Amino acid sequence: MSIVACLKWVSHPGEPHDERFAGMSPADQSALEFALRQAALLGTGVTAITVGPSGADKVLRDALACGATRAIRIEAPTTAAGTDVATAIADHIADAEWVWCGDYSLDRGAGSVPAFIAAHLGAEQALGVIHVDLEADGVRATRRLDGGRRELLGVRSPAVVSVEGATARLRRAGLQSLRTAADTVIEVVPATTPIHRAEFMVRPYRPRARELPAPAGDSPLDRLRLLTDAAAASAARGEMVTLEPADAAARIVQVLTDWGYLPHG
Amino acid sequence: MSTPDVDVVVVGAGPAGSCAAIVAARAGLSVVLLERGPFPGSKNMYGGVVYPRILDGLIPNWWEEAPIQRWVTRRSTMLLTDTQALTVDFRSEAWGQPPYNGATAFRPDWDHWLASHAEAAGAQLLTDTTVVGLLRDAGGAVTGVRTDRPDGDLTARVVIACDGVNSFLAKEAGLYEHTDAKHFTLGVKETLALPKEVIDERFAVRERHGVDIEILGGTGKVNGGGFLYTGLDTLAVGVVLKLPKLAAQQQRPEQIIAGLKQHPAIAPLVQGAELKEYSAHLIPEAGLTMMPKMTMPGMLVAGDAAALCLAAGIWLEGVNFAMASGMYAAEAAVEAVQKGDTSATGLAGYQRRLSDTFVLKDHRKLRRAPELVLSDRVQHLYPTMVANVVERMFHVDNPNPKPGVRRILDQERRKAGVRRRDLLRDGWTGFRSFG
Repeated sequence: MSIVACLKWVSHPGEPHDERFAGMSPADQSALEFALRQAALLGTGVTAITVGPSGADKVLRDALACGATRAIRIEAPTTAAGTDVATAIADHIADAEWVWCGDYSLDRGAGSVPAFIAAHLGAEQALGVIHVDLEADGVRATRRLDGGRRELLGVRSPAVVSVEGATARLRRAGLQSLRTAADTVIEVVPATTPIHRAEFMVRPYRPRARELPAPAGDSPLDRLRLLTDAAAASAARGEMVTLEPADAAARIVQVLTDWGYLPHG
Repeated sequence: MSTPDVDVVVVGAGPAGSCAAIVAARAGLSVVLLERGPFPGSKNMYGGVVYPRILDGLIPNWWEEAPIQRWVTRRSTMLLTDTQALTVDFRSEAWGQPPYNGATAFRPDWDHWLASHAEAAGAQLLTDTTVVGLLRDAGGAVTGVRTDRPDGDLTARVVIACDGVNSFLAKEAGLYEHTDAKHFTLGVKETLALPKEVIDERFAVRERHGVDIEILGGTGKVNGGGFLYTGLDTLAVGVVLKLPKLAAQQQRPEQIIAGLKQHPAIAPLVQGAELKEYSAHLIPEAGLTMMPKMTMPGMLVAGDAAALCLAAGIWLEGVNFAMASGMYAAEAAVEAVQKGDTSATGLAGYQRRLSDTFVLKDHRKLRRAPELVLSDRVQHLYPTMVANVVERMFHVDNPNPKPGVRRILDQERRKAGVRRRDLLRDGWTGFRSFG
């Protein structure tokens, strides 16, 4: 039974050019913690893996100090493309049964790498998980859906699970293991396929500001309600349609354009 | 007795701790350098002048790699009243060339750099690890430290406590006989951003040359002083305030900085600057009066933890004393470990080194200075008296003839309420300290 924790060495959003502030994203910390808990439950070890330059050894040493049994760094530039990162990881963990990832990293936040890894491995995937119950024969995971809904998943190996940052707090490393980890040799391996720099930065979704007409209510309270849609909360503009994937994507783009979230043309 | 985990544990990766770790590791001892912050320097706020010549032997040509902001080539001492300023300004081009004199530096950069040398020497740096207590044997000798990590005990032949101004280790060991708020000042600093070209123009410097302005007065009714240092594209402006006076006046430190920044002599220098950071830190200012016992079986205390900060008005130095004391502590620890005697006697080389060098010689020489500089007369009466004397000396009041300086001095002395014998006594104290 092999358990892998995928970690990314990320810069601090407030100090993007200072490596002293760089480290593991909260989501990756949660993923590592679940990997360690699962390893304890199943009586096995955890392999921590990262893709990056030598500075990324820091997150691997942190993982070793917390209890990971093996650490692998795939040599790559800092801003490697997510698809290439996933390919490189998947090539090195082909026999992994459980792969734990953070749902997205602090620096780019696309959350795509876990899905790509699952695709490469042909594994089940449970992405964006907010609650995890570890069991001897699998994992019960709770996913966040739109509209406050939840999805309960029974996951069996081989699987990739990505967790949100608040799902678990990474254990504090013991002093002796911290000392040992500081001197442990990290396995550095080349990527099996070329790793390219990311061509663009993916950022968390931020709707652009829209120009709205002034509300026409008689009283300030009416105008406030109109402005905030408070009175129309029950009249949501959503609609349920059943379309082929390509048509569904085109419809979503059209609606977002109509609503002002995407530019016309 | 079981074999300790390491030869030396250094607590605190500040200037004292890192220098101690460098010396001990280079001597072949196993060294662990513990730092509570996520990286060395992350907890520090000091933005002043560092005098690094003590590093000449430790890191040859340190100036080629040290993370300095500017080399101080202008040194000004400014005396302020509410509306007046008297400045003694000195400039030396020699201070802008190797081996330099002082430099402005950010401690997060400086400490990180020094700690990297400690690691290169072989010391093991462990961050995010807070030492919460001492391990001691039945006889009371220190045998290691307890950290806040699981399995957090670390035994050592010698512990070098460089844990800063509020040294919990020195206090736990009973090395401080007493601590009193009057022995401390509160340093409060604002870091202000300005373009380098603007700083160069306002302070009349070029390239990496910079200015150190030490200020007497400008802190209202709270005894203390001010400072203004030039970074590359920042200014560090702040005040150092005597704690009991600050508490008695019920004033907030940021109000006092705001007042200083509004002074006619300071306002044009900081105008238009953007506030980037506000921070505060205690400073052990009482010199010999407050110094703890620095050696006990199994442990040495260095840097701010040992109150080795020189606050003597025109001289405000701490980092050089910290680095030197760390180095000397490590040298003594190496001697003791090699002899197999880490008792107080075995570690006595530390006190001897401090006594034989500038570390304690300067403190002894200037032992009366901190009290004199922070006294009410020096803080509140003399600045007004001196500024008024100078103003009248240079005030052309024709058709009246120029008055004699002695007459002005006497008149202003009486007007300020300064007794002649106090003036003489303070003058004599100042002469003995600074002369």
